[in-house]
Amino acid sequence: MSISITGLVKSFGHYAALRGVDLNVRPGEFLALLGPSGSGKTTLLRILSGLEAPDAGRLTIDGADISHQRARDRQMGFVFQHYALFRHMTVAENVAFGLRVKPRAQRPANAEIGERVDSLLRLVQLERMGDRYPAQLSGGQRQRVALARALAIEPRVLLLDEPFGALDAKVRKELRRWLRGLHDEMGLTSIFVSHDQEEALELADRVAVMSDGRIAQIGTPLEIYRNPANAFVCEFLGNTNRLDCVIENGRAAIGDQLFYASVPADAGRLRGIAYVRPEDCELRPSADAPGLKAKVVKVFAAGPTTRIELRRLESDEVIEALLPHGAVAPQPGTEVALGFRQLRVFPAPNT
Amino acid sequence: MSFLKRAFTDGSNPVGEPVGVRAILIGVAVAYLFVMLVLPTGAVFVEAFRKGLDAYFGAIEQRHALAAVRLTLLVAAIAVPANLVFGLAAAWAIAKFEFRGKSLLITFIDLPFSVSPVISGLIYVLLFGAHGWLGPTLDALGIKIIFTVAGLVIATIFVTFPFIARELIPLMQEQGTEQEQAAISLGASGLQTFFRVTLPNIIWGLLYGVLLCNARAMGEFGAVSVVSGHIRGKTNTMPLHIEILYNEYDFVGAFAVASLLCLLAFVTLALKSLLEWRFGEHLAAERHH
Repeated sequence: MSISITGLVKSFGHYAALRGVDLNVRPGEFLALLGPSGSGKTTLLRILSGLEAPDAGRLTIDGADISHQRARDRQMGFVFQHYALFRHMTVAENVAFGLRVKPRAQRPANAEIGERVDSLLRLVQLERMGDRYPAQLSGGQRQRVALARALAIEPRVLLLDEPFGALDAKVRKELRRWLRGLHDEMGLTSIFVSHDQEEALELADRVAVMSDGRIAQIGTPLEIYRNPANAFVCEFLGNTNRLDCVIENGRAAIGDQLFYASVPADAGRLRGIAYVRPEDCELRPSADAPGLKAKVVKVFAAGPTTRIELRRLESDEVIEALLPHGAVAPQPGTEVALGFRQLRVFPAPNT
Repeated sequence: MSFLKRAFTDGSNPVGEPVGVRAILIGVAVAYLFVMLVLPTGAVFVEAFRKGLDAYFGAIEQRHALAAVRLTLLVAAIAVPANLVFGLAAAWAIAKFEFRGKSLLITFIDLPFSVSPVISGLIYVLLFGAHGWLGPTLDALGIKIIFTVAGLVIATIFVTFPFIARELIPLMQEQGTEQEQAAISLGASGLQTFFRVTLPNIIWGLLYGVLLCNARAMGEFGAVSVVSGHIRGKTNTMPLHIEILYNEYDFVGAFAVASLLCLLAFVTLALKSLLEWRFGEHLAAERHH
């Protein structure tokens, strides 16, 4: 199912949750809506499901306008962050709910509902839990019941609101791999909301980074990680060092060092911010080598990479560098020259 | 809980009170309960049977006494369902939606608790009475409210108004709307959502509220007294009938009817205890989820 969203606007009182969102979701895609809390990602998901009505904008599925369709008619599988299981019903009754509330003419016979529920419970690996109540299940099991319940209505699109938010780290990793497998196996089109960039980058085919009610950038995980379109995406994705600089003639000056910057040369002289990922930092052992002068403060060698905390001699700014496994780390207290393999420069927001 | 048990059986418990203090506290509580509750209730039955069983049943089988019982049950049978519907609607609106004037509505729901029942009765006399605001209009239409069963029902509804709503509002507020949203996203209609999701989630709290409301509806005196007009066999409920008998020095009659009212209260209490015993976990679960 392809989904197209154009010009979506939504406010709650004076608070603008969405300020004009355009988004196209491709059939079979697993799309992540990634952003900090308050960026509008959950509102967008709820509008897609019909649980919230937009103030303006258009939604279409496979070309058909669904902007004014009621939530109950949209056939969108919605998985709530806290599962929202019916706690007075057993697991099997929860899963059967969407089938039982169908109009009489479309409702499957009882035996068929039973079979469908059984096969869905097998699918989410809960085949022997049908008689249990939600309160008797672990978090990960509840999550899978919520998923089975949403899948029972054969949804056109699966919408997941922070699907792993309430789970502990280990269950989370397992469940997200399993979910990705399920998505591919069933040929679903899924959209999930997350504030965890690692999760979104690992799981999704494409990631839409949201900020302040707008989509800041959309692309494959690699694209947005490698080529962030703006300062927000750069800062939100992954660990990054932030250094003040001055941009002039297509170059950025950090201290006395000049770096190439992809800012138009005719923009004049302006203040900017340079972002450098720790893994793009290069430590040159001699203090006379070209680069930013810095002093090693701490070395964290335990782990797959060696993390080094440095302090710039000129400005006291703290910089973090990652050295690959096996690299020789300098001793704390040594002075080094810092080179950057790659850095991104954006004009500072107030200029 | 086991540490509590130990605290009450083991005198050496470091945080427990000395045995003497404990005995005094328990003694005071029991004595208070006995004097204020058990003794008066016992007195009702003792007085009712003072002149023997025949006199007791004779008093109950009187035409007017039976009429009072029927009327009390009738009034409760109308007032309780009316407040059930209203209470559910109000609790639903308050718990599941945001709207202007919500806190005002909550305050109004509590009004009958804070106003003296006699005043509540008077309000309706002022509104619907022969010389009241709406009296002449109603009169012209041939509708009589004051001194009729309609008046009794309205006054009772007013007084017992908060019980069900008050029981449901915190319950429904705590449960939020996520389960309803889930039901709708799964294709359920509004009615299906209500009967399959909302109602089962609040059913025990609702029954509890209905019982409390019913107990009060049957026992209400003040508001009903003002609008009743005390027409024997027509507008006298049990509490009003008891007062009349008592004022006429028919003590056996008064206490016999009072004992019936007590029995109705006992039935209510027994049902409530049964609910708590049988479905205590559900009640607690509704409160704490």
